[in-house]
Amino acid sequence: MTALTLIVIVALTSLGAYVIATRGMGLRRPELRGALLETLDYLGLAVIFLVGNFALGLVVILGLRALTHRFVTVYVLNDATLAVLSLLQALVLHCWRTRSR
Amino acid sequence: MRGLRLLGLAGLVVFATMAFTPLANYINIRMAGVARLEPSDAIVVLGRGGADSDGILTNRSLRRVVRGIDLYRQGFAPLLVFSGSLEEIRERANVARALGVPGPAILSAPAARTTREEAEEVRKLLLPLGRKNVLLVSDPIDMPRARALMERAGFTVRPAPTAASGPSQPEARLGLVRDLLIELSAWTFYRVTGAL
Repeated sequence: MTALTLIVIVALTSLGAYVIATRGMGLRRPELRGALLETLDYLGLAVIFLVGNFALGLVVILGLRALTHRFVTVYVLNDATLAVLSLLQALVLHCWRTRSR
Repeated sequence: MRGLRLLGLAGLVVFATMAFTPLANYINIRMAGVARLEPSDAIVVLGRGGADSDGILTNRSLRRVVRGIDLYRQGFAPLLVFSGSLEEIRERANVARALGVPGPAILSAPAARTTREEAEEVRKLLLPLGRKNVLLVSDPIDMPRARALMERAGFTVRPAPTAASGPSQPEARLGLVRDLLIELSAWTFYRVTGAL
């Protein structure tokens, strides 16, 4: 039920944004497909950052344990902020790529 | 470029599947295996997440304690063993006493930081007492590794996982997926280092 509620909310705001974008902001409808594909590029970057952050986190934690005999739990990597930060990293790189074209 | 796009699509599909379908719950249930609730020599409650500085146990830790106390009160074993960090063990023992478990029935293992250390400390505590058959309380997702480590330490293990279905909220399901990834990493690490 929670999942369905969230999906309905996001669907409604997406529909609202579409109406405002096409009627109020004058955005062209055929460009939406390209925008969605570009979003997938951005998400691909985010996946790379997320996997990289997770893998590097494991290596750093295990390295700290081995080299310093200080204990750091791997559960610090179980944090939603890692995904958010990965999205931010990807967003910056994506915008940079776009501006550099 | 096309590869990046496909990766993004794959990420989106995995995200939607894990957050908005019960797949993560299904994996959780599968990892728990079948609970074997039989009379045993001791109930071993492994640590998870510790306690905050103000002595409040984490959600996961508390779930395990409640499960262990419930099993004790049902008469499955005469001993309730807590392991984990020092604060976690202390607070768990306090909770157990407050819920009516008599002090002599509570055993506190020396503090340990990893599941491997916990298995070793519980071994040193229980095997000299001749307590070999244990009910093992752990989260479903941790159970395969925890069970293997306890069996390797010399115990006959009967799994008693905490509630197996897992959460139903999307974010909590994603947390379960992160747990699963960490557990798979831990399993791989233990295999590579010869602990399993």
